[in-house]
Amino acid sequence: MNRLCDSMEPKVMDDDMLKLAVGEQGPQEEAGQLAKQEGILFKDVLSLQLDFRNILRIDNLWQFENLRKLQLDNNIIEKIEGLENLTHLVWLDLSFNNIETIEGLDTLVNLEDLSLFNNRISKIDSLDALVKLQVLSLGNNQIDNMMNIVYLRRFKCLRTLSLSGNPISEAEDYKMFICAYLPDLVYLDFRRIDDHTKELAEAKHQYSIDELKHRENLMQVRLQDERAQQEELEKHKTAFVEHLNGSFLFDSMYAEDSEGNKLSYLPGVSELLEAYKDKFVIICVNIFEYGLKQQEKRKIELDTFSECVHEAIQENQEQGKCKIAQFEEKHLSSLSAIQEESELPNIEKMILECSADVSELFNKLMMLEMQLVEQLEETINMFERNIVDMVGLFIENVQSLMAQCRDLENHHHEKLLEISISTLEKIVKGDLDEDLPDDLRALFVDKDTIVNAVGASHDIHLLKIDNREDELVTRINSWCTRLVDKIHKDEIMRNRKRVKEINQYIDHMQSELDNLEYSDILD
Amino acid sequence: MEVLREKVEEEEEAEREEAAERAEWARTEKMMRPVEVRKEETTLTQEMLRDLEKKLSEIQIPISAELPAFTKDTIDISKLPVSYKTNTPKEEHLLQVADNFSRQYSHLCPDRVHLFLHPLNECEVPKFVSTTLRPTLMPYPELYNWDSCAQFVSDFLTMVPLPDPLKPPSHLYSSTTVLNYQKGNCFDFSTLLCSMLIGSGYDAYCVNGYGSLDLCHMDLTREVCPLTVKPKETVQKEEKVLPKKYTIRPPRDLCSRFEQEQEVKKQQEIRAQEKKQLREEEERLMEAEKAKPDALHGLRVHSWVLVLSGKREVPENFFIDAFTGHSYSTQDERFLGIESLWNHKNYWINMQDCWNCCKDLIFDLGDPVRWEYMLLGTDKSQLSLTEEDDSGINDEDDVENLGKEDEDKSFDMPHSWVEQIEISPEAFETRCPNGKKVIQYKRAKLEKWAPYLNSNGLVSRLTTYEDLECTNILEIKEWYQNREDMLELKHINKTTDLKTDYFKPGHPQALRVHSYKSMQPEMDRVIEFYEMARVDGLIKREETARTMTEYYQGRPDFLSYRHANFRPRVKKLALSSAESNPRPIVKITEQFFRNPAKPAEEDVAERVFLLAEERIQLRYHCRDDHITASKREFLRRTEVDSKGNKIIMTPDMCISFEVEPMEHTKKLLYQYEAMMHLKREEKLSRHQVWESELEVLEILKLREEEEAAHTLTISIYDTKRNEKSKEYREAMERVMHEEHLRQVETQLDYLAPFLAQLPPGEKLTRWQAVRLKDECLSDFKQRLINKANLIQSRFEKETQELQKKQQWYQENQVTLTPEDEDLYLSYCSQAMFRIRILEQRLNRHKELAPLKYLALEEKLYKDPRLGELQKIFA
Repeated sequence: MNRLCDSMEPKVMDDDMLKLAVGEQGPQEEAGQLAKQEGILFKDVLSLQLDFRNILRIDNLWQFENLRKLQLDNNIIEKIEGLENLTHLVWLDLSFNNIETIEGLDTLVNLEDLSLFNNRISKIDSLDALVKLQVLSLGNNQIDNMMNIVYLRRFKCLRTLSLSGNPISEAEDYKMFICAYLPDLVYLDFRRIDDHTKELAEAKHQYSIDELKHRENLMQVRLQDERAQQEELEKHKTAFVEHLNGSFLFDSMYAEDSEGNKLSYLPGVSELLEAYKDKFVIICVNIFEYGLKQQEKRKIELDTFSECVHEAIQENQEQGKCKIAQFEEKHLSSLSAIQEESELPNIEKMILECSADVSELFNKLMMLEMQLVEQLEETINMFERNIVDMVGLFIENVQSLMAQCRDLENHHHEKLLEISISTLEKIVKGDLDEDLPDDLRALFVDKDTIVNAVGASHDIHLLKIDNREDELVTRINSWCTRLVDKIHKDEIMRNRKRVKEINQYIDHMQSELDNLEYSDILD
Repeated sequence: MEVLREKVEEEEEAEREEAAERAEWARTEKMMRPVEVRKEETTLTQEMLRDLEKKLSEIQIPISAELPAFTKDTIDISKLPVSYKTNTPKEEHLLQVADNFSRQYSHLCPDRVHLFLHPLNECEVPKFVSTTLRPTLMPYPELYNWDSCAQFVSDFLTMVPLPDPLKPPSHLYSSTTVLNYQKGNCFDFSTLLCSMLIGSGYDAYCVNGYGSLDLCHMDLTREVCPLTVKPKETVQKEEKVLPKKYTIRPPRDLCSRFEQEQEVKKQQEIRAQEKKQLREEEERLMEAEKAKPDALHGLRVHSWVLVLSGKREVPENFFIDAFTGHSYSTQDERFLGIESLWNHKNYWINMQDCWNCCKDLIFDLGDPVRWEYMLLGTDKSQLSLTEEDDSGINDEDDVENLGKEDEDKSFDMPHSWVEQIEISPEAFETRCPNGKKVIQYKRAKLEKWAPYLNSNGLVSRLTTYEDLECTNILEIKEWYQNREDMLELKHINKTTDLKTDYFKPGHPQALRVHSYKSMQPEMDRVIEFYEMARVDGLIKREETARTMTEYYQGRPDFLSYRHANFRPRVKKLALSSAESNPRPIVKITEQFFRNPAKPAEEDVAERVFLLAEERIQLRYHCRDDHITASKREFLRRTEVDSKGNKIIMTPDMCISFEVEPMEHTKKLLYQYEAMMHLKREEKLSRHQVWESELEVLEILKLREEEEAAHTLTISIYDTKRNEKSKEYREAMERVMHEEHLRQVETQLDYLAPFLAQLPPGEKLTRWQAVRLKDECLSDFKQRLINKANLIQSRFEKETQELQKKQQWYQENQVTLTPEDEDLYLSYCSQAMFRIRILEQRLNRHKELAPLKYLALEEKLYKDPRLGELQKIFA
C-alpha cells in the first residue's frame, strides 16, 4: 500500500486542505449552516481526520490548540513533526505511513492512544513524556530487539499493546517474554491475556524479572533519597542558612587556601586547627538553628496574615453577594411590573426608579469595596512593618554571630603567626627537629614571606566569611521586598478586578434597562 | 378466733374497697358530673350520645379492672411448697429474736409506731420480712439494669391500694403469689423489685416509710409524662474566636450610642412586662394544678426501694418508686419519712428525725446512732467502711452491742422461704396484665400493649390533651412494632390535622417520614426518604396543590433541587385520572451543587424552564473571588426571515451576561448547541416531574394497601409465632406418624388369626401347613369377593335411587319451581359422580383382586413359618 502511495503525487497540508477537512467533519444540518455562516476557528476543533491524502509532511497544525483526536493514517509521512503545539491530544493515529523513528512526541503529555501500525520503526524510543499512555500499536514494523520491551515497563497505565508483524514476534518466546515483563498488560495483539499464561510467563522468567525489579527498586530508592535531600536543602535555602549545619563553610575557607593548607603541617598547628574548627562549627550550627527558627516564625506570621486577609475578603464578598441577591429580587419584580404596565408615563417613571435602584446598588457595592481597601491597607502596612522588623532582627543577630566567627579567625591568625614566626626562628637557628614538607619549607625563607603567606590565608578566610554573610543578607532582604511588593500588587489587582466586575455588572443592568426603554418607545 | 379473723377480714375488705372507691371517685368525680347532668336531659343529640358513650367507657375500664379483689380467699395455696406453710426451727428462732427486738424497741421508743417485722404470708404463717426477699438474677438481659427492671415491675403488676392507708399491711405475700396474680400493694411491689435488684448485684433495700398521697395511690395525673418532655438541647458554647493578629478592624460605627441605649431600654421594658405577664399566667396555672391539701399528709404508709451507691457503679444513693418505676433523688419531697428498711440479710430502724422529709437522712447503715440494726455482724462491717471517720466509733459500739445482744452473736439470717422468682417468657413478653396498661399523666394518657397483641402492631399510644380534664385532644402518638411496612411511629396533630408517619429503615420505597393531611394525591404532603437507600438520591419531596419540590443529594449530575409549578388541569379532560392526564407544567426550576471538575463560569447553578413562554434561564455558579455570577437566557422563536428561510439562531435569542467575557460563547454555533442541549434537558426534566407524580401515586397506593393489610413480621427465631415453621414442623410430624403407621402395617401378620387356632409353640406339620395356607387364601378370596359385592350393591343402590329421582322428575316436571329444579339437577350431577366413582372402583378392584391374591400366595410360600410347605414343593 505504501508503495502504491509513493507513486502518486504527494500533497501539502495547506490552509485550504485543513479548512475543507474541518468543514466536512464539522457540525451538520442546522448547526452546520450556522457554522458556515460564522466560520470555524481551528482552535475550536476537537477532532480532525486527515487520512488517505498523500501527505508527506505534517505541517500547519499549530493552530489546532485544543485538538483531542488526530488521524493521519494512510499517508506517506516520513517524520513525526509539527505536533508540538497539540498538547491536549489524547488520540494520535499515524498508522500506515513511512515513519522510521519515533520522535517529536515530547510535548504530548496527555496522549493515551498512539498508533504507529505499519511503519518502518526499528526501535521503541523517545516515548518518555507519554505518562498516560494506555494503548500502543506498533504492529507491522521492524522492531527486532526483545529488549525494547523492557523500555515499556515505565508506562504504568499501558494496558494494550500490539507488536505482531515485527521480527521479534517470530521469536518463540515472544508472548511469554512480554507477559512476564509487562505484568499489567491486559491485551496483547488484540487478544486478552489469560491468567494462566501470565502465571506461566512469570514462572518462566522469574529470575531475570526479579533481578530487574531489584535494580528498579534500588534506582527508586536512590531517587527518593536524592529528592529528600533536595527538599531538605530547599527548606534550608528558604531559611537562608543552607550549608551552615556542618563544617561546610569552614571547609570552603580552606578549599582555595594553599598557604593555609601548607601551614597546617607546622608543629602544633593541627591541634590548633582542630580546636578552631570545632568552635567555628558550633557557631555555624547556632546560626543555622537560629535561621530555621526565624523562618518558622516568619512563616507563621505570613500564614496568619494571609488567613486574616482571606477571611476579610470572604466576608466582604458574602456581603456583596447578599446585596446583589436582594437587588436582583427587587429588580426582577419591578421589571415584570413594568412589562405589565401599559401607561407610557407610568412606565417611564418606573424605569427611572429602576435605574435609581441600579445606581444605589453601585454605590453600595463600591462603598463595601472601598471599606475593604482601607481595612486591608491598614493590615498590610502593619504586616509590612512587622516582617521588616523581623528580618532586621534576624540580620542583626546573624551578623553578631558572624562577628564571632571573625573573632575566632583573628585569634587563630594570631596564634598561627606566632607559631610560624617561632618556627622561622627555629629554622634560622637550625634547631628544628621535625621534618617539614618541601613546599612548606620554601615559605620559611624570611619573615616577610611567612607573614605574607599567613596573612593571605587569613584574608581568604575573612573573605569567605564576609561573602557568606553578604549573601545571606542580600537574599533575605530581596525576599522581604519581593514579598511586600507582591502583597501590595495582589491587593491592587484584587481591587481593580472587583471594581471592574462591579462596573460590568452595573453596566449590564443599565443597558438592559435602556433596551427596555428603547423597545417600549418603539412599541 | 377464726370468726374474729373473718370479721376482721371482712372489715378490711370493706375498707379496702372503700379506699379504692374513694380514690376512683376522686379521679372520676369531675367527669361524672357532667355526665349525670346530661343523663337527666331528655333530648340527647347523636353527638352527645357518642360523647356519653365514650366517657362512660372511659370511666368503667379502671373500675372493672379492679373489681376482683386480691384477697386470701382467691389465692390457691395448695400448690405452694411446704416452706410456705411452716416455719423451720431457725425461722422460729429468728421470729423470737425479732419479737425480743421489737419489745426492746417499743420499750426504748414508746412513742413510735410498731415495727413491721413479721407479717403473715398467704398461708397465714408469720414470716420475717428479710426472708421474704429472694434475691434472683433474672435470665432476661433487659432486666439486668435497675431502670428497665423497675419499669418491668411497674408494668407487670397491677397496683392495689393498702387496706389501711395509715398502717403497714397485715399480710406480705411471697413474690411467687404476687407474680402469679399480677397484683399487689406497695410492699409487694417493692419486695419483688428489691429481690430482682439484689439478684442483679445492686445494693438495694426495701423501705417502710411514709409517702405523699400521689405516691401512695400511684396517681400520676400531676406528673408530666416523661415521653412528652423534650430532651433539653445542649446549648453549644460558642467558642469566642480570639481576634487574630491581623484581623481587620471593623468599619467605624456611625450610629448614635445614645439612641441605641434608649432603644435597648425601651425593649427591656417591654420584655419585662411580657415576662411579668407570662409569670402571672404560669402562677395561675400552677395554682390550678396544685393538689388539694391532704388531711393525712405524712401519715400515709408507703413502701419503696432504696439503692445505695457503691455496687454496680451506682454513683449516688437514690429511691425507686416500685409503682411507677421512676427513680427519685433521696431529697425528693414526696418521700416523707422512713420507719425502717431491710434487705435479705438484715433489718434497720431509722433513728433519725424526719421532720424535713428524707432530706437530712444519712444512709450510712453502719452508723448505729442513726440506724439501729437487728442482727449483728452480717455485712455491717463492710458498710461502715464507707466512712472511715466512723470506724473508730463503730468499733466501740460493736463492743457495747456485743454485751447487749450476746445471744445473737452467731446468728445470721436464715435462707429465704420463697421459691426462686420465675417469669415465663410469654409473661415477660406480655408484660402488663392481659398485655394492656393505661397510665394517666398530667394532660396526657399513655396506653401500652404487648407486642403482637394488636393485629396492626400497635404497642403504645400517647394522647396529649390541652386541658387538665383531658377532654380536648391535642395530639396522638402511636408507636408500632414488627410492622412489615416498617412503620414505627404515627403522629397525629389534632389542631392542624397533620398526620406524620415515621418509618424505620427498610421500607420498599425507602420512606423515612411521610406527613400529610389526606391520602388524596396532589395535596399538601411532605415525604422524606432514607438518604442512601434511593438510586436517584432523593431525600425529600414536598407537595402542595400547585407545586412539587424535590431535594436531592449525592447525585453524579449534582442536582440538588427541583421545583415544578403546575397549572390546573384542562377542564375537558377532567374525567380521566391523574395518571393519564398530568397537570400542565408552567415552570421547572432546578438547582445544582458546584461541580468541582468544571470551571465556575461553565457550571450551571440554577436553570429555570419557563415552559409556557418557551424561555430558559440559566444562572451559573459564582467564582470564588467574584460576587457576581454569569447569566444566560434563551428565547425560542421559530420565525421565518424575509426570504422565507427558517431562522435557526439569531443573536437576540440568547441574552447573556458574563462575568469574564469569553470569545467562544459569543458564537452562534455555541449558543445554538447550548440551546439544543437545554431543550433535550427540558424534555427530560418534564419527564422526571411526571414520573415523580406517578411515583407519589404509587407510594400512596402502596401505603393504603399496607395500612389495610398491616401485616406483621415474625422473626424466624420466634418458633411460637412463626406459622410457616410451625406448619413445616407439623408436616414433618405428620410424615413421621404416617411412616410409623406404614411400618406397623407391614408388620401386620396375616397368618396370626389362623395360627392362633393351633396350639402354640409346636412345629407345624405339613398337613397343618397346607390347611393353614388354604384357609388363609380362601379367607382372603372371600374378603375380596365381599368387597366387590359391597361396591356392587352400593352401585346398584345409587343407580336405583337416581332412576327413581329421574322418574319423579319426569312426572312432576311441570309443577316444579326453579329452585326445586336446580336442586334436582345438582342432585343428579352428584349422583352421577358417585356412580361413576363406584364404577371405577369396582373395575379397579376386579383388576387388582387376582393380583393381590397371587401376591398373598407368593408371600405365604415364602413365609418361614410355613417352611414345611416349601420343603415339599422344593
